[in-house]
Amino acid sequence: MSYFLLLAINGLVIGLIFALVASGLTLVFSVLKVVNFGHGSLYMLGGYASYYLITALGLPSLVGVAGAMIALFVFGVVFERLVIAPMYTDKVERKDEYAIIVTFGLTILLTNLGLVVFGPFAKSPPSFMTGALILGPLILPYDRLIAAIVAVVLLVGLTVFLKRTALGQALDAVSQSRESAAVIGIDPRRMYTVAFGLGSALAGGAGALIAPIFAQSPSMGDLPAVQAFIIIVLGGMGSVGGSIAGGILLGLVQGLGVGYLPDPNRALAYTQAFGALLLVVTLLVRPTGLFGRSHLRLE
Amino acid sequence: MMRPSVAQWTQGLLLALALLLPLVSGPYWIHVGAIAWYYALLAASWALLAGYAGQFSFAHVAFAALGGYASALCIELLAFPLPLAILTAVLLAAVVGALIGALVLRLSGPYLALFTLAISEIFRLVLVAEEDITRGMQGLSVPSLFSGNSDVPYYYLGLGLVVLAVGAMNGLLATRVGLFLRAIREDEGAARASGVDTTRYKILVFVVTSVIAAIAGIYYGHFIGILTPNMAILPEMGLVIAMAVIGGIESLPGSVIGAVVVFLLSESLRSYGEWRFVLMGLVLILVQRFAQNGLFPMLEQLGHRRKEPLPAVSAMEEPRGG
Amino acid sequence: MKRNLHLHLGAALALATLPFATLPAMAEDSIAIGWVGPLSPPGNYSGGQEMQWAVQLGVDQINKAGGVLGRQINVTYEDTKGQPAEGSAAAVRLITKDNVSAIIGEFHSSVALAEIEEAHKYGVPWVGTDVWADAITAKQYPEVFRLAPANSLVYVKAADWTVEQGYKNIAIVAENTDFGQGGAKVIADELKAKNVPYTMATVDLNQQDFTPALLRLMNQSPRPDAIQMVIAGQAQYQLVKQACQLGLAPTAETALIGSSGLLQKEVWEVDGPCAKNLLIVNVAQPKSQWNDKAKDFVKAFTERYNRAPTGVALEAYDTLGVVIEAIKKAGSADRAAIIKAMEEIKHEGVNATYTFPTDKTPDWAFHQFKDVPFTIIQYTAENQSPEDAAIVYPKKWATTDKIAK
Repeated sequence: MSYFLLLAINGLVIGLIFALVASGLTLVFSVLKVVNFGHGSLYMLGGYASYYLITALGLPSLVGVAGAMIALFVFGVVFERLVIAPMYTDKVERKDEYAIIVTFGLTILLTNLGLVVFGPFAKSPPSFMTGALILGPLILPYDRLIAAIVAVVLLVGLTVFLKRTALGQALDAVSQSRESAAVIGIDPRRMYTVAFGLGSALAGGAGALIAPIFAQSPSMGDLPAVQAFIIIVLGGMGSVGGSIAGGILLGLVQGLGVGYLPDPNRALAYTQAFGALLLVVTLLVRPTGLFGRSHLRLE
Repeated sequence: MMRPSVAQWTQGLLLALALLLPLVSGPYWIHVGAIAWYYALLAASWALLAGYAGQFSFAHVAFAALGGYASALCIELLAFPLPLAILTAVLLAAVVGALIGALVLRLSGPYLALFTLAISEIFRLVLVAEEDITRGMQGLSVPSLFSGNSDVPYYYLGLGLVVLAVGAMNGLLATRVGLFLRAIREDEGAARASGVDTTRYKILVFVVTSVIAAIAGIYYGHFIGILTPNMAILPEMGLVIAMAVIGGIESLPGSVIGAVVVFLLSESLRSYGEWRFVLMGLVLILVQRFAQNGLFPMLEQLGHRRKEPLPAVSAMEEPRGG
Repeated sequence: MKRNLHLHLGAALALATLPFATLPAMAEDSIAIGWVGPLSPPGNYSGGQEMQWAVQLGVDQINKAGGVLGRQINVTYEDTKGQPAEGSAAAVRLITKDNVSAIIGEFHSSVALAEIEEAHKYGVPWVGTDVWADAITAKQYPEVFRLAPANSLVYVKAADWTVEQGYKNIAIVAENTDFGQGGAKVIADELKAKNVPYTMATVDLNQQDFTPALLRLMNQSPRPDAIQMVIAGQAQYQLVKQACQLGLAPTAETALIGSSGLLQKEVWEVDGPCAKNLLIVNVAQPKSQWNDKAKDFVKAFTERYNRAPTGVALEAYDTLGVVIEAIKKAGSADRAAIIKAMEEIKHEGVNATYTFPTDKTPDWAFHQFKDVPFTIIQYTAENQSPEDAAIVYPKKWATTDKIAK
């Protein structure tokens, strides 16, 4: 039983971090109806941004994380204005394909740029706090605990922001219906820019939080991106609450899967495949996601 | 009697160049050319799937891996003779293609992309994990098709496959099927309402393109001599997408040219290291931003604009909407 | 109509000539050598980078001293990305376009296996730097030589050592590549033969969270008393960090044994105090055995690249060294002459004195350098460099007979 608890708690903690990675993707999808295939590279960029803020400028770790989020917000806003915004004009006929291609192009661009600029050797900012919390049979490294707490703060903050502030409500209105939002005087295009900026900031923040837990490399975003895709599908494409639940579920499934699958040699390899399988089955059986909401656009 | 269009002239000229290349160039460019045909097959068939039929699939390179592995394993484990192994692999790809096509009937846009991405990852992970059968990341050796040391037979085999595949796909598009596929892409509901059997054509396009991808994979495996699950990683899919988009996602010859140009450029700019791929990502974004039909159709259109009156649009050069 | 044709012809011609136009101009009299290895993902690019640097250092030294046979050396570097197809294309390119006298390098065995097919086809000497799969020399191609150990050469001894140390429950954590799986299999077979129980876990190099897998190992009964990692890439850093954070290893109860990637200085940046007491299988001589050449090389490398070389750099430098020696011996840069000379040379490099025997049993022994020096070292203090670490194996070089816990 304590073994189960140990796996479950660790799964929960990593799941919360996954949820943060996915929340930016979710926000962008809910407002722009675009899956950002460049999300993983923004995550990578955030990790390196905080690394240099912390090691070169000597900022405290959490300030570095905040700095990375600001930097990525700016990057996201600029990219949206320059590349994604034309999608909403008549010049672009096939919007879905356009969005996939430009965001995927961003991944190719940034991952390789990262390799040239940041170099091939692994980097890691200092720990938030060394050691691990030990409570009876429970072991939890402080870095993970802190990252999970910050993730919860950011996720709660995001939810409150969307529900309680004027800007958040405007974003939510656009995510429900562009047309009705426009009727009540909200400029959807402005909201797209804000949402993409915030989504990038969340990706960057997640990368910065995870940097001390997992070392950084230019390809560090590849796997989290795939996990984030799985989570937003589980969560019903565009619901922040759903992606939190999806993240926790994925964390638990992977933790328990590796812990209990009969063949330890294949367990690690197949838990990854299992996440992808969850995505496939969810899309087939319940395309609105496990926790989906009703106003989902499905053409 | 219609006079050949500019586009056909160009394509004829490029084909002649491709045919003559082995006579004038050294073995290296023949080798590079032979690999380029693999990407050309993938880019062209993906252009049909994603560009014409609107099925933006991330699983295309996984089908190449499926074909390559199935054929190689039939030879190694089941001791099939080569033609039977190839036939089995192609049939398998057709069946799996039909299955995927049927599964994704209700999905489109980002949903379809995510679905196929996940399928592709699952398949790759199985190839990695089941190393008792596939030899995992250690790589599966594949016997050579031709005796002797020259790559020239592979070069012409690959070129032949590209010409055949593009010819066959264009033939298909010239029939009513092409019309239906476009109708489905533009507005599936309307197409269905006007009596198009959308299910049938969507599955058909998956079968056709999956078979071509599988053939590409079989060709590639025999040529390189070793298969690894890395042939189905996401960056490889990205390369195919970049090639098709840069060349022209709605023009089969354009995507072939795109594949060849992107591959040759990435080979000749090797000394620039990773900057090549930075450039490729940038070009991909810029082409999509400013020339969504790809560079080659754009060049052709430039040609047309200066000419009056406009010539009849050939079958190979589909009209552009808007 | 004319105008259009010009436009298309222009485009087509530009297309056709572009690749040829960028041919590097090469001096007539220089000797061309090709280097292959991973410099970008999905290859292990950090190892590849070190190898490339070491070779370039060697080339500059040779050229500065007047070259070989009065000719300068010119090395063309090809990034093979850990992809067999890239390797095969790179080999053909080097052979047919750059007209190289020999190909050296490579880090990934699967890529090497593709490259040696081309080398064999064209009769070009191919000398492997850090590829371990037995199959590479087991094919017994006359063109293929290897400085790096075959898996069977090192991991049998490493497994024997763990048994001698009295470890009774060994966990093997291996990456899912030719190197990892090959090495794991060698260890597993040896442990099986000696009746030592073991468990195996396979990891993917992209994976980042090994905590559940480590928790599983921790809760095994009995808990493993040694974990042997057969991982080349950076995934190893994560494993060390996570095992340490959980209090699993390296601890008094469980030893953690890794491979050469942990010799790079980044281990201290990523793993910090967790890397203390870590054991590492190191394919290099201990500092006490360094000859003057080795000392000079380490000094020059550190000065030029601002980081200490690890085993792969030494191997890479020596790979160039043996080929140059063979060219000298042959008195020409002719491919066949180099192959013939390779079998006859005895080259004193920085890491060992190399010979390439022609005996064929076991099958991987052909053209395989056998006295590959290897040590098992242990970091005994934070921020220690590998050459200052304690040596626990082999006995003749050991600086201590105690493993720190």
